[in-house]
Amino acid sequence: MGFEQILFWLLALGVIVTSALVVLPPGGKNPLYGALLLIVSFFFMSGLYVLLFAHTMAVLQILVYAGAIMVLFTFVIMLLNLSKKELGDETRTIAKGVGVVAVVALAVKTALVIETQTLNIPAKPLPAGFGGVDAIADTLFHNYLVPFELTGVLLLVAVIGAVVLAKRTL
Amino acid sequence: MDPNYAPYVSVLACSIFVLGLGAVILILNYMLGPRRPTREKGIPYESGDEPHSKPRQRFSVKFYMTAILFLVFDLEVVFIYPWASKYSDWLKDDAFAGIAFGGMMVFVAVLTLGLVYEWKRGAMEWE
Amino acid sequence: MNPVSDVAARAAEAAAPVAHSIPLYWFLVVAVVLFAIGSAGVLARRNALTVLMSVEIMLNAVNLAFLAFAREWGNMHGHVVTFFVIAVAAAEAAIGLALVLGLFRHKKSVNLDELTALRN
Repeated sequence: MGFEQILFWLLALGVIVTSALVVLPPGGKNPLYGALLLIVSFFFMSGLYVLLFAHTMAVLQILVYAGAIMVLFTFVIMLLNLSKKELGDETRTIAKGVGVVAVVALAVKTALVIETQTLNIPAKPLPAGFGGVDAIADTLFHNYLVPFELTGVLLLVAVIGAVVLAKRTL
Repeated sequence: MDPNYAPYVSVLACSIFVLGLGAVILILNYMLGPRRPTREKGIPYESGDEPHSKPRQRFSVKFYMTAILFLVFDLEVVFIYPWASKYSDWLKDDAFAGIAFGGMMVFVAVLTLGLVYEWKRGAMEWE
Repeated sequence: MNPVSDVAARAAEAAAPVAHSIPLYWFLVVAVVLFAIGSAGVLARRNALTVLMSVEIMLNAVNLAFLAFAREWGNMHGHVVTFFVIAVAAAEAAIGLALVLGLFRHKKSVNLDELTALRN
């Protein structure tokens, strides 16, 4: 196994373990632990993006996800400063167990299906500048100009909605 | 190794060095440092004021409003950055340069509407 | 693109495929596992903050799949979609957390099971 494969498995193991701990007890019991673990998982994910030659997205992953979105999460968690009672009891119901089993079964099935379906995709050679900022700008403004404008509208709605919902003091 | 990874060798070396240095310092401190805890050493401000209120207080919602502003304008900059990086190349093609310029101006104008709204609602005032 | 030239193009590429050192399938398996973790979190956790973080995990899994396929097809469309997904995730986090603040203001709890105002 080459160096890249070893790096891949280390990063994949890291991202899966930290993401699982967001949902399982350390993070699931205390959201602040969950938020910090999720930031670590974003760093591992950014490493996986580098292995896919997605250089710009690797930077944006840390810049936007770890740098802005998780700051927002951490602020709200510390803002509410929830006690155990306010977090609510995590009840264990049969419906939840069935749901989790169904999700695991679906994941196993999906993994088996994509194994047979993806093995015969011939990989195309990468164009020059693949994953760089200029390549993203070309595709974004030549092929996705209207979705780009709509993203602006979405962000406008997010700002207005957040102000309307959160302006009244706690 | 794939030549695409070449610039990241220094990043990897730096990460390993930083993580290793942190681990070595913590381990050496744990192994070599003497530990004789007393109650006086354990208080938050050693030899200082006694804490008079609990540290678990609610933060103000004002921090959340600031974080929202930061998040949205952070994203705006992230969208402008590739455009700015590529724009000088697009200037060679007049028709597309106009479209790209107009598209970005509409995007910025839409987000400026959000800024104006926040300003009018007083979400940016600290009191 | 008409199907005939599409088939011809695929045949031409099949003649000279690029061998990446890390196969596409490995990335897809990681994406599937992450998506399963995220959806299990959404289903099993009743704390609104953990549910929102599980949604972020699911979005990340989808991003990974998009980028893996972008490398396989050798074009940038997957990257641009990931770009949009990050913007949507930011908007979703802003609104979702504002809703959590509102929920806490009314119920003094962030447990989603308390949201029963419309029941019966």
